[in-house]
Amino acid sequence: MKVIALVSGGKDSVFNMMECVKNGHEIVALVNLRPPNSQSIQNESNMESNGEVINELDSYMYQSVGNEMLDLYAEAMELPMYRAVIHGKVINTDLDYEPNDADEVEDLYKLLKNVKTELEEKNKCVIEGVSSGAILSTYQKNRVENICKRLNMTSLAYLWARNQSELLNEMIESDLNAILIKVACYGLEPEKHLGKTLKEIQPHLLKLEKEFGANVCGEGGEYESFTLDCPLFKKRKIVIDEYELKIHSNDAFAKVGYLIFKKFHLENK
Amino acid sequence: MVNFTIDEIRSLMDKKKNIRNMSVIAHVDHGKSTLTDSLVCKAGIIASAKAGEARFTDTRKDEQERCITIKATAISLFYEIPEKDFQFIQQEKEEDRHFLINLIDSPGHVDFSSEVTAALRVTDGALVVVDCVSGVCVQTETVLRQAIAERIKPILFMNKMDRALLELQLDQEDMFQTFQRIVENVNVIIATYNQEDGPMGDIQVDPTRGTVGFGAGLHGWAFTLKEFAEMYSSKFKIEVPKLMKRFWGDNFYSPSEKKWSTTGGEGYTRGFSQFVLDPIFKVVQSIMNFRKEEYLKLIEKLNIKIAAEDKDKLVEGGKPLMKAVMKSWLPAGDTLLAMIAIHLPSPVTAQKYRTEMLYEGPHDDEAFLGMKNCDPNGPLMMYISKMVPTSDKGRFYAFGRVFSGTVATGQKARIMGPNYVPGKKEDLCVKAIQRTILMMGRYVEPIENVPCGNICGLVGVDQFLVKTGTITTFENAHNLKVMKFSVSPVVRVAVEAKNPADLPKLVEGLKRLAKSDPMVQCIIEESGEHIVAGAGELHLEICLKDLEEDHACIPIKISDPVVSYRETVIDESSEMCLSKSPNKHNRLYMKAVPMPEGLPDDIDKNEVNARQDFKIRARYLSEKYEYDVTEARKIWCFGPEGTGPNLLIDCTKGVQYLNEIKDSVVAGFQWATKEGPMAEENVRGVRFNLYDVTLHADAIHRGGGQIIPTARRCLYGCILTASPRFFEPVYLVEIQCPEAAVGGIYGVLNRRRGVVIEETQVTGTPMFVVKAHLPVNESFGFTADLRSNTGGQAFPQCVFDHWQVLNGSPTDAGTKTRQVLDDTRKRKGLKEGLPDLDQYLDKL
Repeated sequence: MKVIALVSGGKDSVFNMMECVKNGHEIVALVNLRPPNSQSIQNESNMESNGEVINELDSYMYQSVGNEMLDLYAEAMELPMYRAVIHGKVINTDLDYEPNDADEVEDLYKLLKNVKTELEEKNKCVIEGVSSGAILSTYQKNRVENICKRLNMTSLAYLWARNQSELLNEMIESDLNAILIKVACYGLEPEKHLGKTLKEIQPHLLKLEKEFGANVCGEGGEYESFTLDCPLFKKRKIVIDEYELKIHSNDAFAKVGYLIFKKFHLENK
Repeated sequence: MVNFTIDEIRSLMDKKKNIRNMSVIAHVDHGKSTLTDSLVCKAGIIASAKAGEARFTDTRKDEQERCITIKATAISLFYEIPEKDFQFIQQEKEEDRHFLINLIDSPGHVDFSSEVTAALRVTDGALVVVDCVSGVCVQTETVLRQAIAERIKPILFMNKMDRALLELQLDQEDMFQTFQRIVENVNVIIATYNQEDGPMGDIQVDPTRGTVGFGAGLHGWAFTLKEFAEMYSSKFKIEVPKLMKRFWGDNFYSPSEKKWSTTGGEGYTRGFSQFVLDPIFKVVQSIMNFRKEEYLKLIEKLNIKIAAEDKDKLVEGGKPLMKAVMKSWLPAGDTLLAMIAIHLPSPVTAQKYRTEMLYEGPHDDEAFLGMKNCDPNGPLMMYISKMVPTSDKGRFYAFGRVFSGTVATGQKARIMGPNYVPGKKEDLCVKAIQRTILMMGRYVEPIENVPCGNICGLVGVDQFLVKTGTITTFENAHNLKVMKFSVSPVVRVAVEAKNPADLPKLVEGLKRLAKSDPMVQCIIEESGEHIVAGAGELHLEICLKDLEEDHACIPIKISDPVVSYRETVIDESSEMCLSKSPNKHNRLYMKAVPMPEGLPDDIDKNEVNARQDFKIRARYLSEKYEYDVTEARKIWCFGPEGTGPNLLIDCTKGVQYLNEIKDSVVAGFQWATKEGPMAEENVRGVRFNLYDVTLHADAIHRGGGQIIPTARRCLYGCILTASPRFFEPVYLVEIQCPEAAVGGIYGVLNRRRGVVIEETQVTGTPMFVVKAHLPVNESFGFTADLRSNTGGQAFPQCVFDHWQVLNGSPTDAGTKTRQVLDDTRKRKGLKEGLPDLDQYLDKL
């Protein structure tokens, strides 16, 4: 079936696209939600005292760090990319989701609906599937499924309920090259661990899992990643030229920090 | 001494009803080791005799030099009880009259009380020695209290009677009063810590039952009322037990009327004076005053046999003769051994009531039953109470008691450290036991196997245990309870190698030191400093000497001693403390409140503990400390280490998923109470209330990585908003000195923030006892200072007593609190100043 893929740049959303292709589906478009004008317009809730922008919304649904590089995906994968801004707020924090116009989930619903209608008309076809990278977050899965149901589409989540250590291993072995761009967990330190590739960080993650049950794939929000290269990138891969490390909250014991990318480009593989 | 082959000793070990495991405990300088010597000389079992050497159990060079016991030492004694005494044994006994007595001589100085604790654990009975001139002292009480807590049955020995006779020249009535007062004092202590209807029953000491001995260890003589009752029994035609009653208390005899009375009066003399003291006084005085005819007659009358080599002393008289005569008349060894065999319990008797207190597991599993019945065929249960250095540097014998089953060379066993939890693999090793050995003073002998009820050493176990542990063959066995020390390591120094290249040797040396002493702590601070913590100055001094000379074998530099503090709060948190998880989707709301006075101590003493039934505990807390019963029932945990004097209480109402994050919050709590926010010292006396939580609906977003650091931050915030303070440790000092020196003592105490709480004269002597509270921080050099200010006449004993709040806020520069904070943080290599509250708390 034809599939619209939800991408955040994170390893899970990308790996799930790879799984879709492997299972004979065709990805026809990429969809992403980003924080309100992350780089230029200053949003009240994103302000720090010195007036700088924060690229992290702490959303319950969407990964927002790394979104500045996401436009490159369209070029790399040679697919159309549709993006919209997150207007909604977190209204409903229950596990199950009931549609509410002001909720951040509705932003995704609206975007998906528009893209589906537009592409179906343009290409005279039916788009049935939605690819998403949820592994263990029932919260996110329920919301994606709720949207799919309302749009009469099928949620394709090949990673769902997979064993995380196995999954991480598969990702690393399938030439998916991703780096850590946000850490928010005891045991992961911004200065030390940001920018590390999955392969480099894997042993440390396994250690944390043993210590206090950290999620190896970061499903509990332990970390977020950004994929720089994968087999779905046709000819080119992403290269970072300049970045900045940003401390999101300077908490004792579990500092939260992420990377902001200033300059980057595509390069032939 | 008796020469035995290992096979002969081994056969004694099987007769478990005729085994006595006992320790000798007392205040420092009350004469334990000297008394023990007389027992060793009489009955010590050794393979290669080295008789006559003084202080057999003081095996170390510094022990011999300082005349002070530092390490507890075990020796085995063999005793064949006379037929007449055999019938006095009321507990179960074997057919024959041969006894194996395992005796542990322990140090009396408070700094080494951890050695006493370790000794008590492996024994069932204790010989409490009291110097009858000094009376019951602070350490007498400490060790006795510990003994009773471990369910160890005490018997009393009144030592140094020679001093009362010769130095103080007490008359007979005074001497009786002195003895009676000591017996009373001891019984008051016993009554305080032991319920008469408890599992041990009535364990009060009583001269009329023969559980109190009198004598002089130095001169080698001792007696109980039984010895004298036996002498007169045929004359009066009264049975020995009945006569013993007449020889104590208000029982008076009139020789002219040949009648007993309980009121006394004209012509009546106290039974104890008439029949016990009078003969002794006569013998001693006639000999000491060289009244030759008189003493020769007495010796003959009392049928005292003088050894051939002492015959020439008969002519001279005086002290040498007095010793020889008394030793031969009332031999200390026989008296004491009989007392031990008759009154102290065998392992069979003792394990019946000790097992429930020793074993952490269910009271009906194989291990429990094996211990309770002292069954050599049950599963192996052995407690390792300490590590003893071998001649091979860096290796140790694991020393302990077999409570059930039989431990054998080559046997495969589970070696479980104190942190082992049944069903998990932490702190657990399954290894074959390389060798079992017998430990006798300074000698060791290999032995094939050792059955339950005995004390022995193991080779090869030291690699898998730090200090103590449980050894078993039973797969589902729980641990034997960890020992609780009466002193805590409150004095610490930093050590470094003089030559930096020697660092690896220092680290290795510290590891060995930690093993060799039951209580010393060797810690590495974040700053990289190596800390050695001990109970007091003397303890530290000995440890550091061992470290330098035996364990590390390198020259070391030692910092000035520093004190360990506790962090606490004195108010309720001024705001509801909120912390968010790193993903910002979970929130915790908590507050800190100081505990009511007395509760932290109750937790220390185990009156209130994590293993209690929660309803009983809640009732206790509500009755004694006015805690709300519903809240008191919802204590999540104690901390640090799951047992410490801080509480985490769930005060939430109807929160979803709360139980799922309990483990994570508890983990954060253990951590926060172990290293408090002010200076990473232990927290003490703080109750934390968890009022509310908001959690991400999805379990995956509220795991340990999110909640543990959040809980820790929130708890830190709670402390910082509740007027944080330090507790400093305070010693109870007991100083004995002549009256003239009292003034000097007050001066020294005043300069050191000491507070005198009691000053009493020791009845019948010119000595004074001053008791005072002295901050540990001010105690360095105290002993030397005191001596120089009193012309060397005052001798202090410092024992940790309580924690006391240091006044002043840590935010005000110039307060003592602030100074402690700055010093400690600097020493530990932490960021300067009180940490910012912002790091710990979030806004909604």
